[in-house]
Amino acid sequence: MMTQFSGTREAFAAAMLDMAKTDSRIVFVSPDSLKAMRATKFAEEYPKSYIETGIAEQGAVDAAAGMASCGLIPFVGTYAGFLTMRACEQMRTFVAYPKLNVKFVGINAGLIGGEREGVTHQFYEDLGILSSIPNFTIFTPADAAQTYHACIAAAKIDGPVYIRAGSGREPDVFERDEPFSPDGFTVMKNYGEDALILASGFILNRVLRAADLLKAQGIKTVTADVNILHSKNNGQLIHLLKGAKKIVTIEDHNINGGLGSYVTSLCCEHHPVPVKRIGLSSFGESGPADELADHYGFSPENLADNIKGFLKA
Amino acid sequence: MNISQLQQKANELRLTAVRMVYEGKDGHPGPALSIADIVTVLYYDEMQVDPQNPNWQDRDRFILSKGHACPIVYAALSDKGYLGEKVQDFHLRALGSKFQGHPVMNKTPGIDMTSGSLGNGIAIGAGMAIAGKYQQKTYHVYVIVGDGELQEGINWEGINLAAARKLDNLIVFADKNGWQSGGSVEETIGPNNIKERFEAFGWHAQEICGHDHEAIKNAISLAKKTKGKPSVIVCDDMKGKGIPYMEDNNAWHKGVPNDQEYEIAVKVLGGAE
Repeated sequence: MMTQFSGTREAFAAAMLDMAKTDSRIVFVSPDSLKAMRATKFAEEYPKSYIETGIAEQGAVDAAAGMASCGLIPFVGTYAGFLTMRACEQMRTFVAYPKLNVKFVGINAGLIGGEREGVTHQFYEDLGILSSIPNFTIFTPADAAQTYHACIAAAKIDGPVYIRAGSGREPDVFERDEPFSPDGFTVMKNYGEDALILASGFILNRVLRAADLLKAQGIKTVTADVNILHSKNNGQLIHLLKGAKKIVTIEDHNINGGLGSYVTSLCCEHHPVPVKRIGLSSFGESGPADELADHYGFSPENLADNIKGFLKA
Repeated sequence: MNISQLQQKANELRLTAVRMVYEGKDGHPGPALSIADIVTVLYYDEMQVDPQNPNWQDRDRFILSKGHACPIVYAALSDKGYLGEKVQDFHLRALGSKFQGHPVMNKTPGIDMTSGSLGNGIAIGAGMAIAGKYQQKTYHVYVIVGDGELQEGINWEGINLAAARKLDNLIVFADKNGWQSGGSVEETIGPNNIKERFEAFGWHAQEICGHDHEAIKNAISLAKKTKGKPSVIVCDDMKGKGIPYMEDNNAWHKGVPNDQEYEIAVKVLGGAE
């Protein structure tokens, strides 16, 4: 039975509870992120498996590397940027290089994840940073249910995995029991061949609404969620790209380094068609998640207009 | 091994380390010689390891946090049989070599953790020690850090963590030779009061001569008897120890002996490997 949850952080905690039932190698390494990761119940039920390092992300990642080298499966969970920026070198040199079995869950990703906290706690660079480090598997679940399954899938991979998570503002899109697609994408809507729209992360619901607005205006698109970046198993995704006349990528991340960069690279090598990248090109600011997303160009109407302009050009 | 045999072995390892730098024409001989005696006591007297089964789960762990001193560890691994026959040509720092410029855990049998980026060994060692306690294993984790290296802030995250979790299965050697790449530690950053700093963080701390094998053995024994606290053994060391022209001469932090200097090294270290 799956532990119940609402939100990506709660999904992480639920997955940890469920995995710890049958696998004592699973531990939670917390740089004072017990509450932030919603893992209090996990710590109560599995006190030995909760390893608190204090406010020390580099030390947490190093300690996790040491634990993994001795056979444990540590999940280090905290704010995405405190992992990928502050502890970047530890993630690279002591986890990725020796291919150690450490999992990272980075919360507050994007404007939607960081929202009212402001720029210090909004992270839209994490994917770009990790994209240039070998041996990382990068998961970008689109909602809470997918985050749960991403954690389960991550534990089954022998090696470093990064899971991008939010802070509770992520609308549910997927069915609870829909597994995390090993193909690296899921086609959500198939209206027609005018364009292929690819989304990653917690803006998927907005992108799906944009696809409906476009359909109402006679523009028929295929819309897919991309849940793994730079996957080695990308044959199916390349096949999907090859069927497209024009492609749009949409992500709550800097326009460089994330989904747009991944897809444009694949297109350049396999199927050179015009690609419109929609994402962030500046820092954000404080504000409620939905207002922020609208303000920075991610309202369904804005997205639809932007895509329409691109298709007409 | 008795003390005299350990002393003999330390000089053999010193010569192997210097030879691999001389032949490879690159490396850090001074730092390697500084820790030769600690490495010798660990590998030949103390650590429970199996060179035939380097990944034995119950083995003691070793991290060379100051990874640039690796030639002395490579010498010990070779001599212990981790690589089968004793290695003749190390090809240190050469393309395709098992003996990288800094230790790499998946390339060299017997290297328990990649290292070389300074400051990370104690926190990683703390993680290994946590795993040992979690799995109810009795192994110990040994880490060698440099005194200059302790300027990296990440050390103190690991030092904090180890004390908080009462990791009495973690023993750190601080190689206090007073030098770092750019000059003297004291001139660079102030008092080199390592023992006091660790004590302030709640560690059991000892200070000994790091070239005295008996003292190293005794300090390890006391550290292992100390319960509820991690241990640091501050070793008053001499950079370049064993080769007169390198001793306490920071020009040999990184450097390659010429033919004449190598001949002197062979002679003063007794010629045997």
